[in-house]
Amino acid sequence: MSQETIWERLQRIDRRVIYWLLFILLIIPFIRPLGLPVSIGPQTISLLEGLRKLKEGDVVVVNISSGVSAWPECLPSLVAVSKVLIQQKAKIIYWTSFVDGHMTFEKIVEKVPGFKGLKYGVDYVHLGFYTGAEPTVAQLATNIRAIFTTDYKGTPIDQLPIMRGVNSAKDVKMVISSDTGDYGDYYIRQWRIPYGVPFAEIGIAMIFSSYQPYWPEIIFGMTGGAKGGAELEKLIGEPGDATVTMDAINTSHLLVIVAVILANIGYAATRRRR
Amino acid sequence: MAEVVRREAVYALTAIIVVIMMVDFFFTIPAISAIAGELRTWATIISTMALTLGAVNIIRVHSRNVRRRAPGVWYHSAWLIFIFAFVLLLGFTDINNPSSNPVYKWIFDNAYVSLGQTWYAITGFYIASAAYRAFRARNIDAALLLIAGIFVMLMNAPIGEVIWVQIPRIGRWFNDVGQVPAMRTFLIVAAFGLLAFGFRTLLGRERGFYGEVAGG
Repeated sequence: MSQETIWERLQRIDRRVIYWLLFILLIIPFIRPLGLPVSIGPQTISLLEGLRKLKEGDVVVVNISSGVSAWPECLPSLVAVSKVLIQQKAKIIYWTSFVDGHMTFEKIVEKVPGFKGLKYGVDYVHLGFYTGAEPTVAQLATNIRAIFTTDYKGTPIDQLPIMRGVNSAKDVKMVISSDTGDYGDYYIRQWRIPYGVPFAEIGIAMIFSSYQPYWPEIIFGMTGGAKGGAELEKLIGEPGDATVTMDAINTSHLLVIVAVILANIGYAATRRRR
Repeated sequence: MAEVVRREAVYALTAIIVVIMMVDFFFTIPAISAIAGELRTWATIISTMALTLGAVNIIRVHSRNVRRRAPGVWYHSAWLIFIFAFVLLLGFTDINNPSSNPVYKWIFDNAYVSLGQTWYAITGFYIASAAYRAFRARNIDAALLLIAGIFVMLMNAPIGEVIWVQIPRIGRWFNDVGQVPAMRTFLIVAAFGLLAFGFRTLLGRERGFYGEVAGG
C-alpha cells in the first residue's frame, strides 16, 4: 500500500482539526481584538438615508420574523434601526411572527437607551405574536385590529394612544422586517406593492442575496447579517455587538478560505499526476 | 360517488376563493373586500389552530414513546412532556404576559436563548468543514464559482480590504453584476410560474393539493 503524499493529505484534513482550528481562531479576537475597519455597502447607506427622511410622529412598523437564535445576525441591526427611529421621533409598532419575538423586543428595549425617555403605548408598542404567514400579513395591511385586539401584555389596542388612527397599511409610513425566511417577500407583496409603503429589510447574511434584486426600487435599504449591523453601527457612530462580532467573522472567513485553497492545491497537484 | 362530489366541491370552493382573492387584489369592490378580509382572518385562525394541533401531536407521539418504553428514547420523551407541562403551567400564571413570571423568563433567558444560539453557532463549524470538503475546482464552472465565492466572502469580512483594498470592489462586482441579474430572472420566471399555477388551480386542473396527480 503506497503512502499518502502531502497533496493527498491536504485534501483529507480531519474535520475535527478544522473544528479545533475554528474554535481557536474564534477565541483569539476575545483575547486580542483586531478592530479592523468596516467598509460600508450602498444598501446600508440607503437604509439610513430612508430612515432619516422620517418625520416626528410618523408611524413605523417593525416586523420581527427572526428568532433568538438569529440574534447575533439580526439584533444589532434591529437595535441600530430602533435608535435611529427614536432619534427621528417616530412612533414604533413592533409585532412578531416568531413565538420568541417578545424576547427580541425586550432585548431591543434593554439595549436602546433612548427607550427610557419614551412611554410604552404612546411612543412605542409591541402588539405580540401572529401566525398565518402571508394571509395574516395581507390582513394586517387592511385591518390590523382583525389580527391584534390587544398588545402583548393584554391591553386592548384601542386603549393605546399610539394606535389611535392606525388600522391599516395606509396609516403606516414605513415597514422594516427582520427576517430569517420569507416574511420580507410577504411584506413586499402585501404592503410595498399594493400600498406603496416604503420597505426595508434586515436579514441574516444567507438571505441577503435573495432580497438584493429588489434594491433599491422596491426595498429602499437593507442590511445583511452581522456585517450589515456593523455597517449601520458605524454609520450612526455607535459601535455595538456587530462591530465586536466582526473580528470573529474575519478569523473564521480567513480559515475557510485558506482551507479551501489548500484543498484545491492538493487536488490540482494530485490530478496532474493522475 | 360521494367521493367525487366531495372532491369536486373542494375544487369549486378553491376556485371561488381564488377568484375572490384575485378580484380583491386588483379591484376595489367593498363587498368583495369584506369577504376577502373575512377569509384572511379565517386563514389566521386556522393556522393558530394548527399550532395547537402541533402541540397535541407532540404530546401524543411522546406519550406513546413513554407508554411503550421505547429503548433509548422514552426518557427523553418523558423529559419533553415534563418541560412542556411545566412551561405551559408557568405561562398560564399570567396568560397575557408570561415573561412577567421570573421563572418563565429565567427558563427562556438561560435555556432557550443559550441553546438556540448554540445550535445556530454550531452550523458555522459544519459549514467550515463542508466548504473545505466540497469546494473543488473540478472544472472551469466550479473554478469560477470558487473564485467568486472567495471574493464575496472576503468582501463580507473586513479583513478582505486589509489584504487588498480592491477586494471588496471585486466582491461587490460579482454580487451586483453576477448575482443580481440572475436572481431577478429567477424571480420573474418564478412569478410567471406562480401565475400559471393560480390559473390552473382556478380551472381545477391543479389537483396536487387534494392528493391527486395534476390534470393535463
